[in-house]
Amino acid sequence: MSNLLTVSPSPHVHTDDSTRKIMYRVVYAMIPALIWSVFVFGLDALRVTLIAVAACLAFEYLIQKYLMKVTPSVSDGSALITGILLAFNVPSGIPWWIIVIGSLAAMGIGKLSFGGLGNNIFNPALVGRVFMLISFPAQMTSWPSIRSAGVDSLTSATPLGVIKEGLSNGLSVSEISKSLPSQVDMMLGSMGGSLGEVSALLLIIGGLYMLYKKVITWHIPVAVLASVGIIATAFWLVDPQSYVSPGYHLFSGGLMLGAIFMATDMVTSPMNPKGQIIYGVGIGVITISIRMFGSYPEGISFAILIMNAFTPLINTYVKPKRFGGK
Amino acid sequence: MNQWKNFSKGFLKENPVFVLLLGMCPTLGVTSSAINGLGMGLATTFVLLMSNMVISLVKNQIPDKVRIPSFIVIIAAFVTVVQLVMQAYVPSLYKSLGLFIPLIVVNCIVLGRAEAFASKNNVVSSAFDGLGIGLGFTFALVLLGGIREVLGSGKLFNITIYSENYVTLLFVLAPGAFIVLGYLIAIINRIKKN
Amino acid sequence: MAKRESTFINMVLTLFVVTFIAAAALGFVYDFTKDAIEVAKMKAQSEAIKKVLPEFDELGDVCKVAVASASDSVEVFPAYKGDKLVGVAVKTYTNKGFSGFISIMAGIDTSGKLFGYEVLEHSETPGLGSKMADWFRNSEKPGQNVIGKSPESSKFEVSKDGGDIDAITASTITSRAFLDAMVRAFEAYDVESEQLKIKNTSL
Repeated sequence: MSNLLTVSPSPHVHTDDSTRKIMYRVVYAMIPALIWSVFVFGLDALRVTLIAVAACLAFEYLIQKYLMKVTPSVSDGSALITGILLAFNVPSGIPWWIIVIGSLAAMGIGKLSFGGLGNNIFNPALVGRVFMLISFPAQMTSWPSIRSAGVDSLTSATPLGVIKEGLSNGLSVSEISKSLPSQVDMMLGSMGGSLGEVSALLLIIGGLYMLYKKVITWHIPVAVLASVGIIATAFWLVDPQSYVSPGYHLFSGGLMLGAIFMATDMVTSPMNPKGQIIYGVGIGVITISIRMFGSYPEGISFAILIMNAFTPLINTYVKPKRFGGK
Repeated sequence: MNQWKNFSKGFLKENPVFVLLLGMCPTLGVTSSAINGLGMGLATTFVLLMSNMVISLVKNQIPDKVRIPSFIVIIAAFVTVVQLVMQAYVPSLYKSLGLFIPLIVVNCIVLGRAEAFASKNNVVSSAFDGLGIGLGFTFALVLLGGIREVLGSGKLFNITIYSENYVTLLFVLAPGAFIVLGYLIAIINRIKKN
Repeated sequence: MAKRESTFINMVLTLFVVTFIAAAALGFVYDFTKDAIEVAKMKAQSEAIKKVLPEFDELGDVCKVAVASASDSVEVFPAYKGDKLVGVAVKTYTNKGFSGFISIMAGIDTSGKLFGYEVLEHSETPGLGSKMADWFRNSEKPGQNVIGKSPESSKFEVSKDGGDIDAITASTITSRAFLDAMVRAFEAYDVESEQLKIKNTSL
């Protein structure tokens, strides 16, 4: 970064930011949630994460070196993030070969086909996740039960899965809530789900660290969470027997993970605050629509991918005012 | 030699799917297996061959202003023939191709060749052109269908290659068609460049 | 030969001739393939019936049976070996599939147990819902097998809803739809068997 030619008038402020540094700050921010996932799901979580990271790094190196014939940029940390995010998005009991295929889809299709870091339209980790979700729906939706759930159950549904299932069977919300974890449990991370989505609290802590280090700005996460919260509250107030309380929507599933770590990906999100808010609200609205009316229980990954596609359009229409322009 | 050129250009140089990007709807829609691709390709080839020949025969009898409706009627007639014959003699293939058989009528390749080639050339050239483009289309569909079938259901021409427990389902679904087609076009471009 | 002018009369004449020839040709082809299409359709149906029933030599008359749970009636095919009824094939259906309509041929023997089934038509997701073609007749896994079961012996609902049949992994909706179609088949069988018994004794 430092040897770029700077053409703006002086004085200049020099920061020591580099792609590498920013990427590693994101990695630090994910560590609390990673440690928690190992605590909740056991060593399987670590195994899945290591395989995903190794596969992403290996595919980036191999494809760049032998197919694209460019100097591999493995050390910039972006493939490392993709690997961890990919692992965060799968159940811990997933077979190793599925993660490898998912990593290939993430790096090969999601990132390098577009030309590598900075050129990809879609978030690579989400491309990998959606690829796996559509390809291996059975394995991607059998979540191992968490420690506190007792030994007799091998698999457990996610809270969102339980809600969807219950509502489609015509049960009322109060009947369904009996089989749901409490909202405090969900907040802290005692629920079934993918590796990285179980503890909303630790994800928020990671997000605050990134905010403090100026890796992300508040606009996207707040816009996503606020729009989901407001829409969920509105439906809940109108008919509390058919729509669950907004707390379930905010703290369950991958919403926090998506809003804080995946929607904020610098490459695939709009550049200025106004655009970021449009983008965030779009994600929130699509997510809640899929959760309430779609056939999948969770929709954040589809929502982010759809809004990724709109990012160039948003960037075109929401430009910052040029200095001196009207 | 000239006729050979009319025939062979459909495979690589002017391949309707990989180069001209025509007829995308059946290309993406029916290629979930190699057999489907083959059936669709051959049905389209028959229609192309026959309509090209008939149109080049009658081209001087048809006034310019009613050219397109006349061509479409001729094409639609041959498509309906294919549809009836398939329904009668290969009902299972007809069932799996479903709506896409009648849709050959609106396949851009067929009308495109009628307009661009058959209405300007003689019968023999038009026949070779139709056959070449049709077989090129078939080749593309079988390739696409074969790759999707192997990756997405672990079979090729309905012969099991590996266990269904290890298939990547995405490839037999719609997104798989787009992804595989994209990479095939990239590979073809690479080959053509060299 | 010069190209024909685009005068009004030329255009009308050309279009008329083109459509007339096309229509005549199609009429001829239709006439030619009509019987073959009919035969192919019948063959597909009778092959499905053969797969779901014990050996039989003759199919009785098709009856349309109205069932209480659906607005449409279902077709029922009684099958005889000699003079004896060996079973009834029911062409049952459901609209509750993940992608809507599913048509299934279900064979029920004279003791009222399911003998076999064959999925005729569906548009479920390949690799997920489409597994129903084999999932419910896996004799190695009694939990998911429906063959040899009857509504008297087991509850035709997925185990998640309190029934006795294990659903296809990750395809609960398709499984529910499948069992819904099975229940409809038994319903039709119950209605029909009353009439057939009367007919049998009179033979």
